[in-house]
Amino acid sequence: MSAPKKTDALQEVQRIRIHGLTEARQLMGEYGIASLAEFFITYESKNQELPRTEVISRMDTILEAMRGALREGREHPNRTSSGMIDGGAARVAAFASAGGSLLGTSFSDVIRNTLAVAESNACMGRIVAAPTAGASGVLPGAYLTVADLRHVPDERIVDGLFVAGGIGECIAIQASLSGSQHGCQAENGSAGAMTAAAITSLFTEDQDAVESAAAFALKSVLGLVCDPVAGLVEVPCVKRNVMAAVNAVASAEMALAGIRTVIPFDEVVQAMANIGREMPNALRETSLGGLAATPTAIGIANRFKKSCAGR
Amino acid sequence: MAIFDVMGPIMIGPSSSHTAGAAKIGYLARRVYGRPVERVHITLYNSFAETGLGHGTDKAILGGLLGLRVDDPRIRQSYTLARQQGVVFAFEQAIDPDKHPNCAVVQFTDADGGRPFTVEGISVGGGSVKIVAINGARVDFSGKHNLLFVTYRDVPGMMALLGDALGARGINIAYAQISRDKNTGQAMAILKLDQPCPDDLTSSFRSNVDVTDVVTIGKLGNEYERSEED
Repeated sequence: MSAPKKTDALQEVQRIRIHGLTEARQLMGEYGIASLAEFFITYESKNQELPRTEVISRMDTILEAMRGALREGREHPNRTSSGMIDGGAARVAAFASAGGSLLGTSFSDVIRNTLAVAESNACMGRIVAAPTAGASGVLPGAYLTVADLRHVPDERIVDGLFVAGGIGECIAIQASLSGSQHGCQAENGSAGAMTAAAITSLFTEDQDAVESAAAFALKSVLGLVCDPVAGLVEVPCVKRNVMAAVNAVASAEMALAGIRTVIPFDEVVQAMANIGREMPNALRETSLGGLAATPTAIGIANRFKKSCAGR
Repeated sequence: MAIFDVMGPIMIGPSSSHTAGAAKIGYLARRVYGRPVERVHITLYNSFAETGLGHGTDKAILGGLLGLRVDDPRIRQSYTLARQQGVVFAFEQAIDPDKHPNCAVVQFTDADGGRPFTVEGISVGGGSVKIVAINGARVDFSGKHNLLFVTYRDVPGMMALLGDALGARGINIAYAQISRDKNTGQAMAILKLDQPCPDDLTSSFRSNVDVTDVVTIGKLGNEYERSEED
């Protein structure tokens, strides 16, 4: 009779320490926990000394705030004072409803919803930094759009957000979620991996599939730099949210189809950290290189600074 | 880190360091000041000065100074809100390589411009902030502890007096720092406490003849708890 022993073992655990996803999955086996969502609920409850119900209710609040961000982003014409962001989500919505969608309206919805939140963020909207404000469009844009399209009940959606948070935690432990440390691969790359895993978890209990989806999403953006024009969270950040969202859906679909990652997720994360450490300072949120150093970007930055000084 | 450091905070965009962090610096500075905010002069340094307006750093820090939290949409209208509340405010931008890349100095004065009180805060990433100076004295405060800040005439025995009184109430001191200004003869004690300092104890410290000022700042709640990671 090993099952009751496992439960006892878990009850005696005060804190859960992991070094990555592999270890999390090993502990799931040891503790007799069936899903990654349940593992990370337990992880948070033990480590933060909070009752399980409190942990879940906090994630309910996160889901509510994400839905609010989506609503706000879709309802408002988002235009920034620099002029670089100018109602992209509304344009995609109009284009789709006029029958222009290249791959059907669901695909347009992912693009439109991701733009809506990322643009709203640029315009001082209320968002959930998941994992960062600069990548805040990815989870609501891809995960919530897929979940709502498939009529997933809220309880399952909240479970998926724990999978997303857990994947982000595994990245934070081994690398970083910050663009100033490892470039955009760590922000939109991480958001994409979190989202891909969360989407996959809605449709399968197979943890290999969930891990593969996260690995696919991150592998495809390794090396992505952080080079914001004029130092603002606008260009190219908003469109990179869309890239990460679309990439997350594709990664989840590949994993659900049975394709498995050759490189384990933790090793992909370590590769990301190594690349991040070799990334020059100019390409890590300093706006000294990449797109930010193009003649057009420098012109925009100079004009913007001048208009700010005049205020 | 924790799952809710990854999934959060809920905040007004666009930047955790330049918007949420700025709002939190304002909020903490207000609590450090501890009196009604009448007149503030805010100097934004370095990256806060260069890209602050595009990130709403000015609106966010002013919002925080008015008591708004990082996810309060009224941050967007903080200028209007300040005027409605009769708060006089001014901004200045400056570059100072000796200061942190994301730094703000808030100077409070009363309505007549008297009794200046300055608080310097830095935003260290991911929405985490630190108050690094109060009236020029170096401190290290991020809202994770209860703080007791006592300014007094530099006489022997003040630390013992504070320690005894707190100890008698079962309040543990996690960290203590004292410093003094030779020119003014004023000393400052900064204590981090495991439990909040009760109001009556604060009053009794204040009534001590050698004490000039007492400020207590309670630990911030969940909405402002975010680890120092990223």
